Amino acid sequence: MQRTHFYLRPWLFGVICGTLFVLLEVFFSFYPPSAYAFCLTCHTRDLVNSFMNLLTGSHHQTAYLAKRVFMVTSPALLIGAFVAARVTGEHRHRKSSHPFFSFAAGFFIMVIGIVIFGCPTRLLIRSGYGDLYGIIAVGGMCMGVWIGTGILRSWARKGG
Amino acid sequence: MNLTLTVVLGISGIVVGFLAQRSRMCFVAGLRDWFLVRDRELLLGLFTFVITIWFLTSLFSHLQLLRRGIPEYGEIEAARSVEGVSRGLMKSGSAKILEKGAIESLSPRTNPFVIATFGGGLFLGLISTMTGGCVLRQHVLCAQGNRNALFYILGFYFAVIVYYNFLFRFMVRIY
Repeated sequence: MQRTHFYLRPWLFGVICGTLFVLLEVFFSFYPPSAYAFCLTCHTRDLVNSFMNLLTGSHHQTAYLAKRVFMVTSPALLIGAFVAARVTGEHRHRKSSHPFFSFAAGFFIMVIGIVIFGCPTRLLIRSGYGDLYGIIAVGGMCMGVWIGTGILRSWARKGG
Repeated sequence: MNLTLTVVLGISGIVVGFLAQRSRMCFVAGLRDWFLVRDRELLLGLFTFVITIWFLTSLFSHLQLLRRGIPEYGEIEAARSVEGVSRGLMKSGSAKILEKGAIESLSPRTNPFVIATFGGGLFLGLISTMTGGCVLRQHVLCAQGNRNALFYILGFYFAVIVYYNFLFRFMVRIY
């Protein structure tokens, strides 16, 4: 298959997005809590909770920033990726092979993300900021991935 | 509500989504590929991401354009959230840390949040490896039409409502 559309190298993605997230905080003052320019779990929590607070009048926890801003990162990310997939013709429907497992995985990732304040992306942003808790979490994540690869290997051995 | 910031955040989200789709970036897959087959391409993306943020943060805080606060909470959340109380931020006063401008250091006594952070990170890595991508990648896959990722995102949004209506009380008891 010939490659007509551009392919971004991952290291360039790291440089562009890292710059973007720091500049957002510096020039648009995405300030309290710091290192908050991008997080999928925290921003989704803020979005859902601020909508629930508006609708039902409850007082669920949101970050201080979410009182000024609607945290639309997660829907915007879906839109951006959808546009990119449409433009390059990579959008195609795939049947779900294990819906319940995916649902439970998303559920647990969100609960863990709320407790430790971050999706993997924000854990890396926090480590970059010099937050020791972020570095500990990234260390735990490396270990978790190492265990996960062991499990994937054993699955592959059974299947093959 | 500040409309400008919302629009800026939305545009940044769209840009990141576009770039992530084009580069197939996934932070967990970077580590996974390196552990499995020693493929360095995505891992390089992870390292450049961290190093760029580290460099720019240091630069801007030297130029005094950036205040280094506490990443987990704003000052107000520190007093209210469960984890903030467990870290003893209420007693020491987070404002004091902010004034000094110092990087926060661990307290001498191991608090529950250290264990929760390490264990949470571990399970985050484990579950993300099993599902085949970090949260960023799952959003991109969902936008590409992957039904598994769609269910993942549904569970993702559903968990917020469940956590704050039911699970929150149990978490308070554990801490």
